[in-house]
Amino acid sequence: MQNEKDLFDMLKEMYPQHPRKEFVPATENTLRQRARGMGKKRIFTKISVISSSVLVCAFIFSWLISLNGSGTVSKVAHSDGGASSSYAMDEKEPVVYIYQSHNSESFFPELPEQQGYRDQPPYSDSKNITLVGKELSRALKEMQINSIHDETDIAGVLKSRGLNFQDSYKVSRENLQKVLAENDGIRMVFDIHRDSIKRQDSTIEIKGQDYARIKFVVSKTSGNYETNKTFATQLHEQLEELYPGLSVGVIEKGINPQNTYNQELHDNSVLLEVGGIDNTLEEMYRSMDVFAQVLKVIIEKSK
Amino acid sequence: MIDSNNLESRIVEIYNLYYLDVYRFLVCFTGSQNDAEDLTQEVFIRVLKGLSNFNGNYNLKTWIFSIAKHVAIDHYRKKKFASLFKDSFFNQFLSNEKKPDEEFEEVELKRFIHEAIAKLKPNYRAVVILRGINEFSINETSEILQCSAAKVKVDYHRALKELKRKLNIEIEGVLTNAK
Repeated sequence: MQNEKDLFDMLKEMYPQHPRKEFVPATENTLRQRARGMGKKRIFTKISVISSSVLVCAFIFSWLISLNGSGTVSKVAHSDGGASSSYAMDEKEPVVYIYQSHNSESFFPELPEQQGYRDQPPYSDSKNITLVGKELSRALKEMQINSIHDETDIAGVLKSRGLNFQDSYKVSRENLQKVLAENDGIRMVFDIHRDSIKRQDSTIEIKGQDYARIKFVVSKTSGNYETNKTFATQLHEQLEELYPGLSVGVIEKGINPQNTYNQELHDNSVLLEVGGIDNTLEEMYRSMDVFAQVLKVIIEKSK
Repeated sequence: MIDSNNLESRIVEIYNLYYLDVYRFLVCFTGSQNDAEDLTQEVFIRVLKGLSNFNGNYNLKTWIFSIAKHVAIDHYRKKKFASLFKDSFFNQFLSNEKKPDEEFEEVELKRFIHEAIAKLKPNYRAVVILRGINEFSINETSEILQCSAAKVKVDYHRALKELKRKLNIEIEGVLTNAK
């Protein structure tokens, strides 16, 4: 008994080393309910803050009108008109479809509450890869290229239907099929992901700024393997020309576990792995702005 | 800003990662599965409440364990009177019985260890369990107990010494009883 290790081993054996089986899920449930309860309270305070600020705004607005008379009103009407005309100008057929099968993939630097918690890759319901897809869509729009950005909360759909993470591609496929059926003009399809690699592998400095690197992933098991690969290589080469080193290259996957990443649905369909767990959204956005330029060049070449 | 969905999945993740460690700490501390389960739940409810204010610079696991330690010591204070009375009450009868039997010795030994642990000051008890059972490093333990690393070392050393002293006395007692 002089030996500490014996003592501790004995101690460990003395008490039941696991709680009762039913305890574990019961407590998980209790915690879920409590968390939901806390969420409701928060939403309620949010709503009351929003509604009171709307009231204050309305009050100030009416006060301004009564002071300035018709001057303010005509200004407002003018800016309204401007917005609608610019919208009309951009109404072209969408040519790019952007979606995120793993929409909740996120980044440590954007989630300060997960900093001390690095044993699992970061996920978030709000600050996630969807924002990166959105940025690509915005950057394209700036260059007069229209896209459809799918903002479906796939993780939420999985949860509500009781499906697994592996079923993400089945869920994202639904909207993709629908959009392709309704829009003949879609010429490129991108499923954007955040890679799970670390900062040193996912980041590159170009002209003093950090960029999240981009991988082009092609499934070897999709019926479109050859055409997908040609398209991915074209993207890689064009990106190399514009920003050497930003592209990691074309990666072939999808055999084990078998996955087509929905690439059989379109000839020009590629899965993008952008950045990693340690990149900031700003670095991701930068790469998307560059990638938008690549797409512009490719679209113009093929005209 | 954490939205409710996120909070829910976060707490469930954290709970699944750490409930067993927390439970093991508490079951050694209280010596009772029932109490340990109740307290484990209490710990994670407190974690949930504190999660939105949790400072990311701090280690999540040691933060959870500092909560567990507070919960354990609160529980100890509440139960102090009742348990002191109960234990000594039963001991009077038990120690008078003589069963010179190996199985009995084993049971007795466990009971003695349990009592020796239970008689340690709660702070000593926490140090011994955190270091010995949960296998935290000295630095982690000092973070959990919010004291210096030197104090952890000294307390751990003293606690072990006291534990061994108590056990040696009691084990000798068992042996002489058994003869």
